[in-house]
Amino acid sequence: MTSAHRSTPESEAAIRVKALESLLTEKGLIDPKALDALVDTYEHKVGPRNGAKVVARAWADPAYKQRLLSDATAAIKELGFSGLQGEDMVVLENTPDVHNVVVCTLCSCYPWPTLGLPPVWYKSAPYRARVVSDPRGVLKEFGTELPDTVEVRTWDTTAELRYLVLPERPPGTEGLNEDQLAALVTRDSMIGVTRLPTP
Amino acid sequence: MNGIHDLGGMHGLGPVLREDNEPVFHADWERRAFGLFASTFVFAGYSVDEFRHAIEKIPPAHYLDSTYYEHWMFAFEETLIKRGFVTRDELDARMAQLRAGEH
Amino acid sequence: MLLTADIVPVVVATGASARVAAEVAPQFKVGDSVRLRNHNPVTHTRLPGYLRGKMGVIEQDWGVFAFPDTHAHGLGEKPQHCYSVRFSAREVWGPTAAAPDTLRVDVFDDYMEAA
Repeated sequence: MTSAHRSTPESEAAIRVKALESLLTEKGLIDPKALDALVDTYEHKVGPRNGAKVVARAWADPAYKQRLLSDATAAIKELGFSGLQGEDMVVLENTPDVHNVVVCTLCSCYPWPTLGLPPVWYKSAPYRARVVSDPRGVLKEFGTELPDTVEVRTWDTTAELRYLVLPERPPGTEGLNEDQLAALVTRDSMIGVTRLPTP
Repeated sequence: MNGIHDLGGMHGLGPVLREDNEPVFHADWERRAFGLFASTFVFAGYSVDEFRHAIEKIPPAHYLDSTYYEHWMFAFEETLIKRGFVTRDELDARMAQLRAGEH
Repeated sequence: MLLTADIVPVVVATGASARVAAEVAPQFKVGDSVRLRNHNPVTHTRLPGYLRGKMGVIEQDWGVFAFPDTHAHGLGEKPQHCYSVRFSAREVWGPTAAAPDTLRVDVFDDYMEAA
Protein backbone atom coordinates (compact mmCIF):
# COMPACT_ATOMS: atom_id res chain seq x y z
CA MET A 1 0.00 0.00 0.00
CA THR A 2 1.41 3.36 -0.89
CA SER A 3 1.96 5.89 1.85
CA ALA A 4 -0.97 8.22 2.34
CA HIS A 5 -0.77 11.14 -0.05
CA ARG A 6 -1.85 14.28 1.75
CA SER A 7 -2.67 17.09 -0.58
CA THR A 8 -0.94 20.10 0.93
CA PRO A 9 -0.84 23.53 -0.68
CA GLU A 10 2.85 22.94 -1.34
CA SER A 11 2.33 19.65 -3.09
CA GLU A 12 -0.60 21.07 -5.07
CA ALA A 13 1.57 23.95 -6.22
CA ALA A 14 4.30 21.51 -7.23
CA ILE A 15 1.79 19.42 -9.16
CA ARG A 16 0.40 22.49 -10.90
CA VAL A 17 3.87 23.57 -12.05
CA LYS A 18 4.91 20.07 -13.06
CA ALA A 19 1.72 19.65 -15.08
CA LEU A 20 2.39 22.80 -17.08
CA GLU A 21 6.10 22.20 -17.49
CA SER A 22 5.64 18.58 -18.60
CA LEU A 23 2.89 19.41 -21.11
CA LEU A 24 4.80 22.32 -22.64
CA THR A 25 7.93 20.17 -22.84
CA GLU A 26 6.05 17.34 -24.58
CA LYS A 27 4.64 19.84 -27.06
CA GLY A 28 8.18 21.03 -27.85
CA LEU A 29 7.42 24.56 -26.70
CA ILE A 30 9.92 24.77 -23.83
CA ASP A 31 13.27 23.22 -23.03
CA PRO A 32 13.74 22.15 -19.39
CA LYS A 33 17.46 22.83 -19.71
CA ALA A 34 16.65 26.45 -20.44
CA LEU A 35 14.62 26.55 -17.23
CA ASP A 36 17.63 25.05 -15.43
CA ALA A 37 19.87 27.79 -16.86
CA LEU A 38 17.47 30.57 -15.88
CA VAL A 39 17.19 29.21 -12.35
CA ASP A 40 20.94 28.90 -12.02
CA THR A 41 21.46 32.44 -13.26
CA TYR A 42 19.10 34.07 -10.79
CA GLU A 43 19.79 31.76 -7.88
CA HIS A 44 23.58 31.91 -8.07
CA LYS A 45 24.86 34.50 -10.48
CA VAL A 46 22.68 37.60 -10.31
CA GLY A 47 22.11 39.26 -6.96
CA PRO A 48 22.67 42.30 -4.75
CA ARG A 49 26.45 41.94 -4.94
CA ASN A 50 26.06 43.43 -8.42
CA GLY A 51 24.37 46.53 -7.07
CA ALA A 52 26.92 46.75 -4.27
CA LYS A 53 29.69 46.99 -6.89
CA VAL A 54 27.83 49.84 -8.60
CA VAL A 55 27.48 51.68 -5.32
CA ALA A 56 31.10 51.15 -4.35
CA ARG A 57 32.30 52.40 -7.73
CA ALA A 58 30.13 55.50 -7.37
CA TRP A 59 31.54 56.21 -3.93
CA ALA A 60 35.14 55.70 -5.06
CA ASP A 61 34.97 57.47 -8.44
CA PRO A 62 33.17 60.84 -8.66
CA ALA A 63 33.18 60.81 -12.46
CA TYR A 64 31.48 57.40 -12.47
CA LYS A 65 28.93 58.69 -9.96
CA GLN A 66 28.04 61.54 -12.33
CA ARG A 67 27.59 59.09 -15.19
CA LEU A 68 25.48 56.88 -12.95
CA LEU A 69 23.20 59.74 -11.99
CA SER A 70 22.80 61.02 -15.53
CA ASP A 71 22.48 57.71 -17.43
CA ALA A 72 22.19 54.85 -14.99
CA THR A 73 21.51 52.16 -17.61
CA ALA A 74 24.77 52.90 -19.45
CA ALA A 75 26.84 53.32 -16.29
CA ILE A 76 25.54 50.08 -14.79
CA LYS A 77 26.25 48.30 -18.08
CA GLU A 78 29.89 49.52 -17.83
CA LEU A 79 30.22 47.09 -14.90
CA GLY A 80 28.63 44.28 -16.92
CA PHE A 81 25.13 44.37 -15.48
CA SER A 82 22.19 44.81 -17.82
CA GLY A 83 19.09 43.25 -19.24
CA LEU A 84 15.92 41.66 -18.00
CA GLN A 85 13.99 43.95 -15.64
CA GLY A 86 16.78 46.52 -15.69
CA GLU A 87 16.59 47.77 -19.26
CA ASP A 88 15.83 51.33 -18.16
CA MET A 89 17.55 52.13 -14.89
CA VAL A 90 17.43 55.18 -12.64
CA VAL A 91 19.70 55.65 -9.64
CA LEU A 92 18.45 57.68 -6.68
CA GLU A 93 21.05 59.34 -4.50
CA ASN A 94 20.47 59.51 -0.77
CA THR A 95 21.81 62.68 0.83
CA PRO A 96 21.58 64.19 4.30
CA ASP A 97 18.42 65.97 3.12
CA VAL A 98 16.78 63.33 0.94
CA HIS A 99 16.05 59.67 1.66
CA ASN A 100 14.74 57.52 -1.19
CA VAL A 101 12.73 54.30 -0.84
CA VAL A 102 11.36 52.15 -3.66
CA VAL A 103 8.22 50.03 -4.03
CA CYS A 104 5.93 48.64 -6.70
CA THR A 105 2.44 48.99 -5.24
CA LEU A 106 0.72 47.39 -8.23
CA CYS A 107 2.82 44.23 -8.50
CA SER A 108 6.52 43.69 -7.61
CA CYS A 109 8.71 45.42 -10.18
CA TYR A 110 12.34 45.33 -9.06
CA PRO A 111 15.76 45.90 -10.71
CA TRP A 112 16.83 42.29 -11.29
CA PRO A 113 20.28 42.85 -12.87
CA THR A 114 21.52 44.86 -9.87
CA LEU A 115 19.58 43.33 -6.99
CA GLY A 116 18.56 39.86 -8.20
CA LEU A 117 15.05 38.65 -7.45
CA PRO A 118 13.02 40.53 -4.85
CA PRO A 119 12.57 39.25 -1.29
CA VAL A 120 9.09 38.11 -0.26
CA TRP A 121 8.57 41.14 1.97
CA TYR A 122 9.03 43.55 -0.94
CA LYS A 123 6.35 41.68 -2.90
CA SER A 124 4.02 41.41 0.10
CA ALA A 125 0.72 43.24 0.48
CA PRO A 126 1.73 45.02 3.71
CA TYR A 127 4.82 46.61 2.16
CA ARG A 128 3.10 47.55 -1.07
CA ALA A 129 0.16 49.06 0.77
CA ARG A 130 1.96 50.94 3.53
CA VAL A 131 5.26 52.28 2.27
CA VAL A 132 3.51 54.81 0.03
CA SER A 133 1.19 56.12 2.73
CA ASP A 134 3.38 55.63 5.82
CA PRO A 135 6.99 55.32 4.66
CA ARG A 136 8.39 56.50 7.99
CA GLY A 137 6.35 53.87 9.84
CA VAL A 138 7.56 51.11 7.52
CA LEU A 139 11.17 52.33 7.70
CA LYS A 140 10.90 52.29 11.50
CA GLU A 141 10.00 48.58 11.28
CA PHE A 142 13.32 48.14 9.50
CA GLY A 143 15.11 50.11 12.23
CA THR A 144 15.41 53.29 10.19
CA GLU A 145 14.37 56.59 11.72
CA LEU A 146 14.70 59.86 9.88
CA PRO A 147 14.40 63.39 11.26
CA ASP A 148 11.45 65.56 10.27
CA THR A 149 13.79 67.76 8.25
CA VAL A 150 14.67 64.98 5.81
CA GLU A 151 12.46 64.54 2.75
CA VAL A 152 11.41 60.92 2.35
CA ARG A 153 10.81 60.26 -1.36
CA THR A 154 8.79 57.14 -2.02
CA TRP A 155 9.17 55.94 -5.60
CA ASP A 156 6.30 53.81 -6.94
CA THR A 157 7.56 51.73 -9.86
CA THR A 158 4.45 52.05 -11.99
CA ALA A 159 6.15 51.92 -15.41
CA GLU A 160 9.25 50.21 -16.83
CA LEU A 161 11.88 52.38 -15.19
CA ARG A 162 13.66 50.40 -12.46
CA TYR A 163 15.09 52.13 -9.43
CA LEU A 164 18.26 51.57 -7.43
CA VAL A 165 19.02 53.62 -4.34
CA LEU A 166 22.58 54.90 -3.95
CA PRO A 167 22.95 54.90 -0.16
CA GLU A 168 25.04 57.51 1.62
CA ARG A 169 28.62 56.43 2.13
CA PRO A 170 29.13 55.71 5.81
CA PRO A 171 31.63 57.91 7.65
CA GLY A 172 35.11 56.59 8.41
CA THR A 173 35.38 54.62 5.17
CA GLU A 174 37.84 56.90 3.39
CA GLY A 175 40.66 54.37 3.43
CA LEU A 176 38.71 51.44 2.02
CA ASN A 177 39.14 50.07 -1.49
CA GLU A 178 36.20 49.30 -3.77
CA ASP A 179 35.92 45.66 -2.73
CA GLN A 180 35.86 46.67 0.93
CA LEU A 181 33.30 49.37 0.21
CA ALA A 182 31.09 46.94 -1.73
CA ALA A 183 31.14 44.54 1.23
CA LEU A 184 29.45 47.23 3.34
CA VAL A 185 26.51 47.68 0.96
CA THR A 186 23.35 45.72 1.80
CA ARG A 187 20.43 44.89 -0.44
CA ASP A 188 18.02 46.67 1.88
CA SER A 189 20.03 49.90 1.67
CA MET A 190 19.67 49.78 -2.15
CA ILE A 191 15.89 49.42 -1.83
CA GLY A 192 15.97 52.28 0.64
CA VAL A 193 14.45 50.70 3.76
CA THR A 194 17.73 50.98 5.66
CA ARG A 195 20.76 53.24 5.84
CA LEU A 196 24.24 51.86 6.19
CA PRO A 197 25.76 52.00 9.65
CA THR A 198 29.20 53.38 10.41
CA PRO A 199 31.48 50.33 10.21
CA MET B 1 -8.77 47.98 -13.20
CA ASN B 2 -9.65 48.98 -9.63
CA GLY B 3 -8.65 45.53 -8.45
CA ILE B 4 -7.25 44.03 -5.27
CA HIS B 5 -3.72 44.40 -6.64
CA ASP B 6 -4.07 48.19 -6.40
CA LEU B 7 -2.85 48.12 -2.82
CA GLY B 8 -1.26 51.55 -2.34
CA GLY B 9 -2.66 53.13 0.80
CA MET B 10 -4.71 50.16 1.99
CA HIS B 11 -4.96 49.67 5.75
CA GLY B 12 -5.32 46.57 7.88
CA LEU B 13 -2.75 44.35 6.17
CA GLY B 14 -0.48 44.13 9.17
CA PRO B 15 3.27 44.49 9.66
CA VAL B 16 5.86 43.79 7.01
CA LEU B 17 6.93 40.22 7.79
CA ARG B 18 10.51 39.35 7.01
CA GLU B 19 12.53 36.12 6.95
CA ASP B 20 16.17 36.17 7.99
CA ASN B 21 18.58 34.89 5.33
CA GLU B 22 15.71 34.29 2.99
CA PRO B 23 16.59 31.93 0.12
CA VAL B 24 15.96 33.04 -3.45
CA PHE B 25 13.51 30.14 -3.90
CA HIS B 26 11.59 28.44 -1.10
CA ALA B 27 10.78 25.25 -2.98
CA ASP B 28 11.75 23.50 -6.17
CA TRP B 29 8.38 24.26 -7.75
CA GLU B 30 9.15 27.97 -7.33
CA ARG B 31 12.34 27.46 -9.30
CA ARG B 32 10.45 25.83 -12.16
CA ALA B 33 7.73 28.49 -12.06
CA PHE B 34 10.42 31.17 -12.31
CA GLY B 35 12.03 29.42 -15.27
CA LEU B 36 8.68 29.24 -17.05
CA PHE B 37 8.48 33.02 -17.38
CA ALA B 38 11.18 33.66 -19.96
CA SER B 39 10.56 30.25 -21.53
CA THR B 40 6.87 30.93 -22.22
CA PHE B 41 7.34 34.64 -22.97
CA VAL B 42 9.61 33.74 -25.84
CA PHE B 43 7.22 31.37 -27.68
CA ALA B 44 3.75 32.56 -26.66
CA GLY B 45 3.89 36.20 -27.74
CA TYR B 46 2.25 37.70 -24.66
CA SER B 47 3.47 41.01 -23.26
CA VAL B 48 4.52 41.67 -19.67
CA ASP B 49 1.48 44.00 -19.50
CA GLU B 50 -0.86 41.17 -20.43
CA PHE B 51 0.86 38.90 -17.91
CA ARG B 52 0.41 41.47 -15.15
CA HIS B 53 -3.26 41.92 -16.03
CA ALA B 54 -3.83 38.18 -15.80
CA ILE B 55 -2.56 38.35 -12.22
CA GLU B 56 -4.80 41.35 -11.50
CA LYS B 57 -7.81 39.23 -12.42
CA ILE B 58 -7.13 36.59 -9.76
CA PRO B 59 -10.18 36.56 -7.42
CA PRO B 60 -9.36 39.03 -4.60
CA ALA B 61 -9.40 36.67 -1.61
CA HIS B 62 -7.20 34.24 -3.45
CA TYR B 63 -4.85 37.01 -4.61
CA LEU B 64 -4.15 37.99 -1.00
CA ASP B 65 -3.96 34.42 0.19
CA SER B 66 -1.57 33.02 -2.41
CA THR B 67 2.11 33.61 -3.06
CA TYR B 68 4.00 35.42 -5.79
CA TYR B 69 4.83 32.33 -7.83
CA GLU B 70 1.30 31.01 -7.43
CA HIS B 71 0.22 34.29 -9.03
CA TRP B 72 2.59 33.55 -11.89
CA MET B 73 0.98 30.12 -12.36
CA PHE B 74 -2.44 31.74 -12.72
CA ALA B 75 -1.04 34.09 -15.33
CA PHE B 76 0.77 31.36 -17.30
CA GLU B 77 -2.36 29.24 -17.42
CA GLU B 78 -4.61 32.14 -18.42
CA THR B 79 -2.34 33.45 -21.18
CA LEU B 80 -1.39 30.06 -22.59
CA ILE B 81 -4.93 28.67 -22.56
CA LYS B 82 -6.21 31.86 -24.19
CA ARG B 83 -3.64 31.46 -26.93
CA GLY B 84 -4.46 27.79 -27.46
CA PHE B 85 -1.09 26.35 -26.43
CA VAL B 86 -2.65 24.17 -23.77
CA THR B 87 -6.21 23.48 -22.60
CA ARG B 88 -7.78 23.44 -19.15
CA ASP B 89 -8.71 19.79 -19.68
CA GLU B 90 -5.12 18.84 -20.52
CA LEU B 91 -3.82 20.59 -17.42
CA ASP B 92 -6.45 19.03 -15.17
CA ALA B 93 -5.82 15.57 -16.61
CA ARG B 94 -2.07 15.89 -16.12
CA MET B 95 -2.52 17.11 -12.54
CA ALA B 96 -4.78 14.16 -11.79
CA GLN B 97 -2.14 11.81 -13.17
CA LEU B 98 0.55 13.46 -11.06
CA ARG B 99 -1.56 13.25 -7.91
CA ALA B 100 -2.06 9.57 -8.56
CA GLY B 101 1.68 9.13 -8.97
CA GLU B 102 1.30 8.12 -12.59
CA HIS B 103 3.62 10.64 -14.21
CA MET C 1 10.82 30.42 -30.87
CA LEU C 2 12.10 27.79 -28.46
CA LEU C 3 14.26 29.20 -25.67
CA THR C 4 17.26 26.90 -25.33
CA ALA C 5 19.89 26.94 -22.60
CA ASP C 6 22.58 28.37 -24.87
CA ILE C 7 20.65 31.56 -25.58
CA VAL C 8 19.53 32.14 -21.99
CA PRO C 9 22.57 34.38 -21.28
CA VAL C 10 21.70 36.61 -24.23
CA VAL C 11 18.05 36.87 -23.20
CA VAL C 12 19.09 37.69 -19.63
CA ALA C 13 21.65 40.30 -20.69
CA THR C 14 19.41 41.97 -23.26
CA GLY C 15 15.95 41.85 -21.70
CA ALA C 16 13.06 43.56 -23.46
CA SER C 17 12.86 47.29 -23.02
CA ALA C 18 9.44 48.90 -23.27
CA ARG C 19 10.95 52.00 -24.92
CA VAL C 20 9.58 52.72 -28.37
CA ALA C 21 11.76 54.43 -30.97
CA ALA C 22 9.03 56.71 -32.25
CA GLU C 23 8.84 60.48 -32.61
CA VAL C 24 5.95 61.31 -30.34
CA ALA C 25 5.36 64.83 -29.04
CA PRO C 26 5.15 65.11 -25.27
CA GLN C 27 1.99 66.64 -23.84
CA PHE C 28 3.88 68.10 -20.86
CA LYS C 29 7.25 69.51 -19.93
CA VAL C 30 9.34 69.56 -16.77
CA GLY C 31 7.86 71.99 -14.26
CA ASP C 32 4.26 71.70 -15.49
CA SER C 33 1.51 71.27 -12.93
CA VAL C 34 -0.70 68.32 -13.72
CA ARG C 35 -3.78 66.62 -12.34
CA LEU C 36 -4.22 62.87 -12.64
CA ARG C 37 -7.39 62.01 -14.49
CA ASN C 38 -10.37 60.31 -12.91
CA HIS C 39 -9.38 57.21 -14.86
CA ASN C 40 -11.26 54.04 -13.86
CA PRO C 41 -10.98 51.47 -16.63
CA VAL C 42 -12.07 47.90 -15.92
CA THR C 43 -9.11 46.91 -18.06
CA HIS C 44 -5.39 47.14 -17.30
CA THR C 45 -3.86 50.40 -16.17
CA ARG C 46 -0.76 51.47 -14.29
CA LEU C 47 -2.41 54.49 -12.69
CA PRO C 48 -2.72 53.61 -9.00
CA GLY C 49 -6.07 54.48 -7.47
CA TYR C 50 -4.48 56.50 -4.69
CA LEU C 51 -3.32 59.10 -7.25
CA ARG C 52 -6.60 59.60 -9.09
CA GLY C 53 -7.51 63.30 -9.13
CA LYS C 54 -4.32 64.35 -7.33
CA MET C 55 -2.15 67.30 -8.37
CA GLY C 56 1.53 66.90 -9.08
CA VAL C 57 4.47 68.47 -10.90
CA ILE C 58 6.43 67.01 -13.83
CA GLU C 59 9.97 66.36 -12.62
CA GLN C 60 11.45 64.39 -15.52
CA ASP C 61 10.47 63.20 -18.98
CA TRP C 62 11.71 59.61 -19.32
CA GLY C 63 10.94 59.44 -23.04
CA VAL C 64 8.59 57.36 -25.16
CA PHE C 65 7.34 53.97 -24.00
CA ALA C 66 4.60 51.49 -24.90
CA PHE C 67 1.35 52.32 -23.12
CA PRO C 68 0.37 49.46 -20.79
CA ASP C 69 -3.37 50.15 -20.93
CA THR C 70 -3.56 49.24 -24.62
CA HIS C 71 -0.59 46.90 -24.83
CA ALA C 72 -2.01 44.55 -22.22
CA HIS C 73 -5.05 43.91 -24.40
CA GLY C 74 -3.37 43.51 -27.76
CA LEU C 75 -4.53 46.97 -28.81
CA GLY C 76 -1.12 48.22 -29.81
CA GLU C 77 1.73 50.09 -28.19
CA LYS C 78 0.20 53.59 -28.43
CA PRO C 79 3.67 55.00 -27.67
CA GLN C 80 3.70 58.11 -25.51
CA HIS C 81 5.81 59.96 -23.02
CA CYS C 82 6.24 58.66 -19.51
CA TYR C 83 7.21 61.14 -16.79
CA SER C 84 8.38 61.17 -13.22
CA VAL C 85 5.73 63.17 -11.38
CA ARG C 86 6.26 64.62 -7.91
CA PHE C 87 3.37 64.67 -5.43
CA SER C 88 3.52 66.07 -1.93
CA ALA C 89 2.62 63.39 0.60
CA ARG C 90 0.07 65.75 2.13
CA GLU C 91 -1.61 66.26 -1.25
CA VAL C 92 -2.07 62.53 -1.54
CA TRP C 93 -2.74 61.45 2.05
CA GLY C 94 -3.85 64.58 3.89
CA PRO C 95 -2.45 66.54 6.81
CA THR C 96 -1.24 63.53 8.81
CA ALA C 97 1.53 62.88 6.28
CA ALA C 98 4.99 64.24 7.09
CA ALA C 99 5.37 67.75 5.69
CA PRO C 100 8.57 67.37 3.67
CA ASP C 101 7.73 63.97 2.18
CA THR C 102 6.93 63.35 -1.47
CA LEU C 103 5.83 60.55 -3.77
CA ARG C 104 7.51 60.04 -7.13
CA VAL C 105 5.47 58.06 -9.61
CA ASP C 106 5.90 57.23 -13.29
CA VAL C 107 2.88 58.54 -15.16
CA PHE C 108 1.93 58.37 -18.85
CA ASP C 109 0.63 61.30 -20.93
CA ASP C 110 -2.83 59.74 -21.19
CA TYR C 111 -3.20 59.67 -17.40
CA MET C 112 -2.84 63.44 -16.92
CA GLU C 113 -4.39 66.76 -17.73
CA ALA C 114 -2.92 70.23 -17.29
CA ALA C 115 -3.67 71.86 -13.96
